[in-house]
Amino acid sequence: MFTKTPDLPIASMEELFELSAFLHKEARLLDEERFEEWLEMLHEEIHYWMPGIENRRRENPLKEGFYDKDHMAYFDDRMRDLQRRVARFRQPSAWAENPATRNVHIISNVEAFIAPEADTYMVCSTFTSIRSRGLDEEYVIYGRRYDRIQRTEGGLKLLKRLILIPNATLSCKNINTFL
Amino acid sequence: MSNIIKTLDVTDALPNLKKVCNLDEGRISGEIFYSQEIYEQELEKVFARCWLFVAHESQLVKTGDYITTTMGEDEVIVVRQKNGSIKVFLNACPHRGNKVCFSESGSTRGFICNYHGWSFDTAGNLVGQHESGIYEASEFDKSKWGLKEVAQVDSYKGLVFATFDPEAPSLKEYLGPMTWYLDALFDNQEGGTEFVGGCIRSTYECNWKIAAENFVGDILHAGWTHDSAARAMLGGAVAKVSDFPESYSVNWNGHGYEFALDTVGNVAVLGESKLNRYVHTIKPSVAERLGEFRSNMIASVSSATIFPNFSFLPGQNTVRVWQPRGPNKIELFTWVVVNKSAPEEIKEMWRKGAMMTFSPTGVFEMDDGENWEYCTKTAKGKVTAKQDLFVGLGMDTLLEETPLPGNVYEGQLNEANSRAFYQYWFDLLNAKSWTEVPNRNKGKAEAE
Amino acid sequence: MEKVYLCKTSELADNQVKKIDNATYGDIAVYNLGGQYYATADLCTHATASLAEGDIEDDMIVCPVHWGQFHIPTGKAQGFPCEIDLRTYPVEVVNDEIYALVDSNLIAKG
Repeated sequence: MFTKTPDLPIASMEELFELSAFLHKEARLLDEERFEEWLEMLHEEIHYWMPGIENRRRENPLKEGFYDKDHMAYFDDRMRDLQRRVARFRQPSAWAENPATRNVHIISNVEAFIAPEADTYMVCSTFTSIRSRGLDEEYVIYGRRYDRIQRTEGGLKLLKRLILIPNATLSCKNINTFL
Repeated sequence: MSNIIKTLDVTDALPNLKKVCNLDEGRISGEIFYSQEIYEQELEKVFARCWLFVAHESQLVKTGDYITTTMGEDEVIVVRQKNGSIKVFLNACPHRGNKVCFSESGSTRGFICNYHGWSFDTAGNLVGQHESGIYEASEFDKSKWGLKEVAQVDSYKGLVFATFDPEAPSLKEYLGPMTWYLDALFDNQEGGTEFVGGCIRSTYECNWKIAAENFVGDILHAGWTHDSAARAMLGGAVAKVSDFPESYSVNWNGHGYEFALDTVGNVAVLGESKLNRYVHTIKPSVAERLGEFRSNMIASVSSATIFPNFSFLPGQNTVRVWQPRGPNKIELFTWVVVNKSAPEEIKEMWRKGAMMTFSPTGVFEMDDGENWEYCTKTAKGKVTAKQDLFVGLGMDTLLEETPLPGNVYEGQLNEANSRAFYQYWFDLLNAKSWTEVPNRNKGKAEAE
Repeated sequence: MEKVYLCKTSELADNQVKKIDNATYGDIAVYNLGGQYYATADLCTHATASLAEGDIEDDMIVCPVHWGQFHIPTGKAQGFPCEIDLRTYPVEVVNDEIYALVDSNLIAKG
């Protein structure tokens, strides 16, 4: 679909189970608006990146095909940026969050590999994010994620996330969630 | 053989249009945000006639570089020519109307239609077809069937505009004295500006005027709407605009720019001290280039719209076009503009900062979207749509004695620009030709 | 074999192509690739197009109409939609004059 995934050794069944549980927990924390606990699942060096997708001809690709690290993005965040986003959610004056946005994150197609970096896994997954606001607004975003998850003294931490959606035009007004 | 599009037949104004707004009384009605009938008139009388922003020159560096965009709902290709000029074509094959360019940007020798292999060069000429012998046997005249070319294209300081209307006034006349203010962002350093890569496209269920009017002159909403974002980014509330010692709302031909003179109010919300420092560093050279007054505007609390749908925020450096997609839907194109001469690190901070604040994931824009959609959706109610909406702040604030160009109003907490925007819109909907558009400008057409 | 005069070497800069009208054998495109001269039929084998109006990319000529490609030294069709090879002619340079050697028996009027 997008970037060709490098061939890496496959993680063990136990590791796959543990990493899947990590991703499922993360999704649940987001659905339950437990953003501070979610932040704790992230490595302090996190790079959380969701590039803008551009509709280009095959003979005219960008550096990464449909996206480019120097081009505009939806997220190109470090820990401070993510904390700021969480801080906005927490303001009583975050008008567009009251009544609350109701979230469901579905994670599937989880594959785990041993990354070349020490104590690190490369985990691929797909997601469906369903949000509903007000009485009848519903927004669905789906795509693929390429994660680097590192085993640290504090447990597994998300070190890098690349989020790719198929859409060159976002079919809704915003992304007031994490993916 | 010219394939330039001729003037469209303009239909009569809608009857009863005058009921939908009265700007002298400071009122509009929600009907203008939801009526399909009014929207059809807008496509014809606003979007098919006005100068519309189509590209930044930095997106079209060499011959054959192109982007695709829309003018109203009409799809167009904007392409750099061999002689360095820029042409704009309908993105529709003159044979069966199929789209000829499907990618949003790139570099090409020309455009080949997928349907019957009609091939056009970058100048829009039809150069051949698949099974060309059949056409030759029918004595087909290739020169008459090039891509249809948009009547006028011109640019100001890197901003490329186009209009379908050969009768439209020149871009210079259309923009009038607003160019003097545009320079504060688009020409404050040698070399001008460029767009950083890419365009983020998103969809709002709102009327295009709500968004355009928000940027033309509504700083009033910021202190309330954006409280949560300001606290997240700065750890405190939005600057209290009513405390600013000096600020203005300026308009001309429906365009508007509202601004304070605090230099860094807008850039500060990106929460990057290096960007604030950059603005302070270039300020003396801006003062030398544009004068002291405009050097205070580089990244101050400010916003602007060039009528009808091109808007930007100095300081956040976000540039957008609100593309109409029906009365209650827009496609929003978002870019980031930076000074070409700025250090790479600064450009990168602006790219991220604009994303973090004013983009579909921007912490500020989240709360705008909600407002704009429901300003539109409430007008679905027939009764609600007929009720007056208040747009009457600052009725008597025109500054008669000012050296500033344009129609200058005192204070940016003022609905003068919004009224001027809706008035120009209203005048266009009532005018069958440009000569019927009343000149309501009161201020100086040029800077002293 | 007929020797058809094309042009002078001074009229064809490096990496350039030139169309030579020829009512008898069909128009001929003459190329200069790094001082080596080549000649092919000028008419694209796919649709009506003068290859001399196309761009040279390495040793390929790109048709200006549908961007198909031919290998200049061999005339081989290389890129969609060109599937029929291009006729090529041996070239002879005499002093500063370039000639194509055309086998008049094999060629129908172009």
